[in-house]
Amino acid sequence: MKDFIEYIETSCADLKDNHLAYLYKKKILDEMTDRANEITHAGLKDEKVLADLMADEYPDLKGNFLKFQKEQRKKKLANLLKIVLPVGGLIFLILMFITYFEVSKATRAWDKTWLIIVGGIFSLIIFYFSFAIHKLCHMRRIWHPIARVLIAGCVMLFTVFMFLFWLMMIPRLTFWPIIPGGIILMLVCDLIFAYVTKQKFRTVSCFVYMPVISTMLFIILAAYNIVSWRAGWPIIFLGLVADLIYILLIALSNAKYFMYKQEVEE
Amino acid sequence: MERRLNAELWDKMHYLFRDFNDRMVHVELNYDFIPDIEALKTVIICAFEKAPVLHSKFVDTKISTHWKVMPYDIDDVFSVSYPDNVEEAVEEFLTQYIAPDADIQMKIALFIKDGKSTLCMVENHMCMDGGDLKYFIQSFCENYSKYVTDGISPINFRTGSRSYDDVYSGFSKTEAGAAQRLFKNINAKDNHKFPLTPDNIRDKSFIARRKFDESTFAKLKARGKELGATINELLLASYFYSVYELAGFPASDKVMISNAIDLRRHMDSVEDKGFTNHTSWMQCAIPERGRDIFETIKYVVRSSNKFKKDKFMGLYGLPLLNFGYNILPHAASEEIIKIGYSNPLMAMSNIGLLNGQHFALAGKEPTDAFMSGAVKYKPFVLLTATTYKNVICLSMCVRGNEEDKKIVNDFFDLMEKNINTIIG
Repeated sequence: MKDFIEYIETSCADLKDNHLAYLYKKKILDEMTDRANEITHAGLKDEKVLADLMADEYPDLKGNFLKFQKEQRKKKLANLLKIVLPVGGLIFLILMFITYFEVSKATRAWDKTWLIIVGGIFSLIIFYFSFAIHKLCHMRRIWHPIARVLIAGCVMLFTVFMFLFWLMMIPRLTFWPIIPGGIILMLVCDLIFAYVTKQKFRTVSCFVYMPVISTMLFIILAAYNIVSWRAGWPIIFLGLVADLIYILLIALSNAKYFMYKQEVEE
Repeated sequence: MERRLNAELWDKMHYLFRDFNDRMVHVELNYDFIPDIEALKTVIICAFEKAPVLHSKFVDTKISTHWKVMPYDIDDVFSVSYPDNVEEAVEEFLTQYIAPDADIQMKIALFIKDGKSTLCMVENHMCMDGGDLKYFIQSFCENYSKYVTDGISPINFRTGSRSYDDVYSGFSKTEAGAAQRLFKNINAKDNHKFPLTPDNIRDKSFIARRKFDESTFAKLKARGKELGATINELLLASYFYSVYELAGFPASDKVMISNAIDLRRHMDSVEDKGFTNHTSWMQCAIPERGRDIFETIKYVVRSSNKFKKDKFMGLYGLPLLNFGYNILPHAASEEIIKIGYSNPLMAMSNIGLLNGQHFALAGKEPTDAFMSGAVKYKPFVLLTATTYKNVICLSMCVRGNEEDKKIVNDFFDLMEKNINTIIG
């Protein structure tokens, strides 16, 4: 243990002597002691070898301090969020109800102000989902599909709110195409997530989504009479054309590998 | 806190081979002195700490697999005994089986008699192949020597990635891209079997060996130069010829023997890599037996030259295996891979030259050194070749009975006869 303290003090000599540095040194010492106990339990008797082995396992103490600092900041933030999220949510709900009653009383538009409650609750759910998605993204890949489902959930909540808002506020305009619009947004968001986080089978997702997106696009355009229901259906095939172009692009980028000719020494 | 290690592609592949062999790799080093036992223990612990896979258990949850690092006691890993019959004790030690879910994956024993010692190691092939085991022993011996003579702590063991895709590290970007798209399954099935008896519950693992003296090695080397063949090709040719004779295959039959190849040839350096497997098969096929052994040699050379010209030798099918293991839960992946994979019925692994200086403990080289591959389950066989101090040692590890032992020895007699024909 004396050897470890000596090693830690020498390695961290340049660090400012503050509480964080103390916490770091203590953490390293505890880890080293635990590992040393494990190894001693395995049967190692030579203390010099043990000290060298430990030093080899913890080669860059000074460099790792920066990582530790970041971790500590994250930990603090996480602890803060544990309090802020439920309390903040509660305060938000109270404020939302107060706003709802005040606005309703002032405007006498009780038939429309309920949107404040729906919007508020949806925003709160989307806010919590965002935290969950962020956390899931930093977990093992096996959890990522749940993040994708939550993203889809967020988009659909947003779409439903927009649908209700449109329905209540601008009733003369055709409002139902917001739903196919939401589906497009949901698929696009999922694709962005899949490509940014390099999910398996993202190409397959892309192939499947393209025709769905083009179909939804056709429905929206036809609903607003931009194209006619009878003549506009070829838009659906745009998705398949996009798929084809995508396949060609993949084939082109892979061609150099498949066409690779070995230079063989005879 | 639980320490976990990734189960790499080759770990999973060797786990899948549980139906074909016991996955144990064997080492025997004979010294004419007794090494420092406490120092050996220290070196073993350091080696285990630097390569934690050696004290890990393989966890198969059916969905996925990983290694779980386990606590261990040096006495469970290393044993020292003073048997009356060293040969028997060594055979018993070497033919033991370490289960993948055991807490340790390598066992070491020191047998002492009359001032001489035999250091034996048995290791799970899932952790590392013969190539890396050779390197491991070399590091082990170097660390021991420096520790005993200079007091330097024995911590100089390689650590790093165990991933299969390190094999592409020596290629340019385009070459690596091309190699990573070799999805072709090159497994070719051949039904010609080594003529062992049917399976029996009384079968026991045994290691049969045959040595060829220094003069045979020198003559083989010279003859190889004349015939334009390597020693490996000459041994492979006599393997083919002997098995035709032993099993009575019609001379016109096409027969295939798989040859283990070290994929490290494709890598720039292994210095920053961990101990792992990088071995694949090259299928050497001859169209017929040939009128004599020399014609067989021509066929073997022709077949192996085809592979030598291939820059991506041994890399075919790796992306397919990786894809197979990645798309489905582990249990399902295994079933699918089993459909496409056919384990070679007859195979050969030339571990190559064992350098005495590399295996020297405190400057004293072993008087004899031996390494061999896993004990194969019938009808599969693997002929292992090692060369130490210009003595070639052929070995075959089989789970069988006395009759199988006799068959393997008859095979070695035929090998001897055919090698003698080659060297004239």
